[in-house]
Amino acid sequence: MSESTTTLRAPAREVPLFSIRRVWTLAISTLTQLVRMKTFYFLFAFAVLLLAIGNFNFASSPAQALSTVKKVSFGAMDLFAWLFAIVATALLIPRDLEDRTLYTILSKPVRRIEYLLGKLCGVLIVIGISLSVMFVVCAGMIQWKEAGYIAEEIGTTENQITEETRQAILLIQKNGFHPELAIATLASFMKAAVVASVTILLSTFASSSLFTIIISVLVFLVGHAHTMATNFWLAESDNSIVVQMLLKLFKIVIPNFQIFSFSEGIVQGATVMPAAIWQMAGLTGAYLVVFMLLSLLTFVDKEF
Amino acid sequence: MSEPAVEVSNLTKVFSTGLSKNYVVAVDNLSFEVAAGEVYGLIGPNGSGKSTTMKVVLGLMAASKGSAKVFGYESGDIRARNEIGFLPENPYFYKHLSGEETLKFYGKLCGLKGSELKDRIAELLKLVDLEGAAKRRLGGYSKGMLQRIGLAQTLIQNPRLVILDEPTAGVDPVGSRQIRDLILKLKEDGYTVFLCSHLLEQVQEVCDRVGIIFKGRMRREGTLDELIRIESQTAMTLENASPELISKIHDLISSDDAAKVIEEGHPRTTLERLFIQIADQNRKEESA
Ligand SMILES: Nc1ncnc2c1ncn2[C@@H]1O[C@H](COP(=O)(O)OP(=O)(O)O)[C@@H](O)[C@H]1O
Ligand SMILES: [Mg+2]
Repeated sequence: MSESTTTLRAPAREVPLFSIRRVWTLAISTLTQLVRMKTFYFLFAFAVLLLAIGNFNFASSPAQALSTVKKVSFGAMDLFAWLFAIVATALLIPRDLEDRTLYTILSKPVRRIEYLLGKLCGVLIVIGISLSVMFVVCAGMIQWKEAGYIAEEIGTTENQITEETRQAILLIQKNGFHPELAIATLASFMKAAVVASVTILLSTFASSSLFTIIISVLVFLVGHAHTMATNFWLAESDNSIVVQMLLKLFKIVIPNFQIFSFSEGIVQGATVMPAAIWQMAGLTGAYLVVFMLLSLLTFVDKEF
Repeated sequence: MSEPAVEVSNLTKVFSTGLSKNYVVAVDNLSFEVAAGEVYGLIGPNGSGKSTTMKVVLGLMAASKGSAKVFGYESGDIRARNEIGFLPENPYFYKHLSGEETLKFYGKLCGLKGSELKDRIAELLKLVDLEGAAKRRLGGYSKGMLQRIGLAQTLIQNPRLVILDEPTAGVDPVGSRQIRDLILKLKEDGYTVFLCSHLLEQVQEVCDRVGIIFKGRMRREGTLDELIRIESQTAMTLENASPELISKIHDLISSDDAAKVIEEGHPRTTLERLFIQIADQNRKEESA
């Protein structure tokens, strides 16, 4: 035999037990995957929608028109973010399994938590980029319309700006662009992050993407009923142990998506409470940690 | 002897199927070792537990009983996987990536970067003869090309052990020839290769040792030569033997009391026959 003549290979280099670089590699690969699945095309659809509502005169006053444009465009952004988070995340892991890329990835020196984090980060990068682009487009659109309405208002007065015109301009500005709108976009992003982590948890044990998508959407919708659920159960019962437990379980298992609802107020021109932002950021972080740990719990012993 | 590359001891893997209390014993008290530097082939028909054994060695599955070690590391340990390159059965990889991008992705996962990664990719593309197709997306690769880019992928981090699940299955004769040549090249380069196949004749020439697995159990193990040799029999392969010579030999044999001719004809794959014999034996045992 030729063993004596060939030299055996040297032991492999040491591997880090956890590596952000590997997470990053997986995230970028997920990003590439989503880009090449042509998911960015919906941005064009969004731009068309925006142009359509921007040039459609359905409101009686400039202030109302601006308010509608804001509501529709930011509503669309929010819808896109959470829906994309669910659908993209639910498709990714089953697809890797089907392609058997999961085998080759997990048989490299990669930890399973790194894989899950990589998928989550990849989806979030896509959502982050899309939301940023959409925000810039929206902001430009609103500011352009705002400037147009103001110019119109000034144009109607011949010589001096009357008090009436001043009031009209103020009203337009009040309904126009505000930097706080960025916070509403941030809220959409964080909401998408939480819903993506819920979807990852589901797809670590569900075998069908459709099931994962449906349950994720349900969790998302039910997650808007925290206050309602609390009130309902408290009113219906004498706080028996069973009800208390159920309520606790609901509050633990279903994330409270109401922490993001203040962003609707921002879009309508309300001022932002810094406390609400901090609460949102803190809870988002906590939810991400909890759901990723739960995902790892089912994924770490999963057999392929 | 140095530490074995793979050490499987009393490995049992049981799958519970469905909701009922049905069990499939995919691997049944299997033990074997793959020495560093050798090419070891696990051979058996479909469903005999080859892939399952490999997945346990890789840590993709947990053993129900027993253990598997890779260069002394428990399987499932990230350091064990660091020493392994794995090519799964019918690999597909990401269709949207080119050959080069695929290698880059796996290289980065293994911690390679910069010019080292670039050089390694160039070296491997050359080794598997895919330099021309490096920039093409895998969606357009043939089965043989996929198998070769898969093989390159297994080697990216310079592992000591290469695990190949059915490396030649579904590949045309030319492609399968190329893959076998590559396996021989790997052995020359000091890699340890652990492969499995249900196609005996395709891998027998590359394997130093083979284990024959059937229904999750090891039935025979040894070098090809040992397995094929039947001590009580002697085979003679003659060239240009005239009919007269053959008849003389027959006369000689019939003059001996003990000896008799069992078979005569042209030589062919004997491992296959051994294999069929084992399957037959098993069937008889079961019907008995
Ligand atoms: N995930 C699984 N769940 C249930 N049974 C399985 C699973 N994987 C393999 N098996 C069963 O285990 C046996 C061995 O399968 P496998 O290891 O794939 O065989 P081979 O690779 O030799 O063709 C088969 O009977 C197969 O049906
Ligand atoms: Mg198999």
